Amino acid sequence: MNLFRSEEHIERWLAGRRPGATIPVEKLSELAHAWWSDRLSPSWQPHSRDENQAILERLGLTAAFWRLPNP
Amino acid sequence: MNEDELSLRNITYASIVQLGRAPTAAEIAALSGHSPAEVSAAWQGLHAEHALVLNQVTGQIIMANPFSAVPTAYHVQAAGKWWYGNCAWDAFGICAALQTDGRIETSCQDCGEALLIAVRDQRPDDQSLLFHCLVPAAYWWDDIVFT
Repeated sequence: MNLFRSEEHIERWLAGRRPGATIPVEKLSELAHAWWSDRLSPSWQPHSRDENQAILERLGLTAAFWRLPNP
Repeated sequence: MNEDELSLRNITYASIVQLGRAPTAAEIAALSGHSPAEVSAAWQGLHAEHALVLNQVTGQIIMANPFSAVPTAYHVQAAGKWWYGNCAWDAFGICAALQTDGRIETSCQDCGEALLIAVRDQRPDDQSLLFHCLVPAAYWWDDIVFT
């Protein structure tokens, strides 16, 4: 889960490996804030698999790549 | 996650924020009134539930996502301290968890060029960068350190 300067840099880094998923850094920041913003709340409760999947879907990450495993 | 685990998890996270590092089981025992062995047992339960990641040899915390207890390529300044994130996602997650602006220092994983990113109002100032996730979500926890 890394940052790169461009698609060219990702392709070179992959060195022939099968690519995963690429998103703009702004989308990553949105995702991080949706995923982690409650982490230090005294009333924090574990996210369910479905709650986490809903976060991904709200951000348009609906491809099979982003499908979380069933418990 | 039972009530004891949840309580000890919350004390552990609060301690990370206060100390700027991962606490020891003895430190959480002193704060919580539990024994170090009880804290360690609770941490093992949290590890099994993916709420913490422990070094399985030492029992020490290595990840309390989004925080890393060991140095990584993702150095984050936020809320008056420096932190390590486990990955790019977690670097932004530290700003999110602390609910503050921040600064991320890392590098392009391909060429090594320094990447300095200011996060203000939940947005990165350099929007030209790309995030690549190699491992599909279904397999993230098969090897979370690699992921």
